[in-house]
Amino acid sequence: MNLDFTSILPSLPYILRGIGVTLQIVALAGLLGFLLGIILSLFKISSIKVLGWLADAYTSIFRGTPLVLQLMIIYFGSPQIFGYQIEPYVAAVLAFGLNSAAYISEIIRAGILAVDKGQSEAAMALGVPYRKMMLNIILPQALKNILPALMNEFITLTKESAIVTTIGVMDIMRRAYQVGADKFRFFEPLLLAGLIYYLMVITLTILGKVVERRMRRGD
Amino acid sequence: MIKIENLHKQFGKLEVLKGITTTIKEGEVVAIIGPSGSGKSTFLRCINLLEKPTNGRIFIGEQDITDKKTNIMKVRQNVGMVFQHFHLFPHKSVLENLTYAPMKVKGQSKQEAEKIGLGLLAKVGLSSKANEYPGRLSGGQKQRVAIARALAMQPEVMLFDEPTSALDPEMVKEVLDVMKSLAHTGMTMAIVTHEMGFAREVADRVLFLDGGVLVEDAPPSEFFSNPTSDRAKDFLQKML
Repeated sequence: MNLDFTSILPSLPYILRGIGVTLQIVALAGLLGFLLGIILSLFKISSIKVLGWLADAYTSIFRGTPLVLQLMIIYFGSPQIFGYQIEPYVAAVLAFGLNSAAYISEIIRAGILAVDKGQSEAAMALGVPYRKMMLNIILPQALKNILPALMNEFITLTKESAIVTTIGVMDIMRRAYQVGADKFRFFEPLLLAGLIYYLMVITLTILGKVVERRMRRGD
Repeated sequence: MIKIENLHKQFGKLEVLKGITTTIKEGEVVAIIGPSGSGKSTFLRCINLLEKPTNGRIFIGEQDITDKKTNIMKVRQNVGMVFQHFHLFPHKSVLENLTYAPMKVKGQSKQEAEKIGLGLLAKVGLSSKANEYPGRLSGGQKQRVAIARALAMQPEVMLFDEPTSALDPEMVKEVLDVMKSLAHTGMTMAIVTHEMGFAREVADRVLFLDGGVLVEDAPPSEFFSNPTSDRAKDFLQKML
């Protein structure tokens, strides 16, 4: 194996600039997925059946088709969906956000159901309205329990974001691939990209542990 | 005053309450006793509509709380409840447990709510625990906090659902003492309990339920020395 990183060294800053692009997509998509996931999970446990059906259908579709397909449908279909061509970057955030919402909604639903029923009874007995009860009593406890699962989802999101390459977003993956094509050496830049992704995931993992420890202080 | 008329409750095919009629006067302390499965807890939980009665009416003051137009949330603000398993909010400190509902539901300022909260903690003897989390408290302490939390809403009626049943024996007294002093303040109280000594000493009236039917309704002096029904006699024999 003859590894030679010297030839791609000048392109290192170019590849590293992809971190910002990847992070931005992941952060925005994660936020979108989380907020939409909460709403969908509340639909799923709602006593209004239609809302539950809607949320279930949503989850079924986004979980039942490939993510790369969803990404391409949103990007290439945007002129027909929205009436104009959207930026690849926007398509990426939308696709990942909508997709992870399906998974996150299931995680949060399980988290809510795992909170002792006595908690909602105690809140109800105090005259606390449903919305405040969910926001202040149930969801904080649910989130604490599902933090590891949520972290998993965000890690998956970070890695899966590499498929935005297929619609031409200049993320880590695409930059590494381009450098490879440019220098006729793919192995080294791809290894480098792998290292960058790995370090990002490790950072996320540590971050998750810190948050988890802080949330467990009350126990 | 709470007036209960012909209260029925069914869970599916199971009829838990079979037409209960009684009145709890203002300032009265009523002990609800009976064998397990007799419907005591369901009866209590109907009074703040944690269970929706299948039939019959419940008046708190002038208000028919079983009326569809009644705002249940408003009713519950006025009826405090203490559970067997405390159900404190584990992610909130003891003081936050007490101030949460008054601030979020009644719109009290933080200052006001904390002042009332600290006053109540002093009354239940837990001033020093204001900033602890519930997870650090013993069962008896948790239940005293739960009583204080219910009182923080300044309710007119307090419901207790087997408040000492989940406690270690040595912690039962500290909770009963708090309830006793609460009874002396003239609070209207309905207590589902297995503590016969407490019922005899503190209650003004005993309701004996069996099979979803109110079998006896008498002052404790009468009920404990001269129960009229065979079922009550049998029950007391096993308990005392």
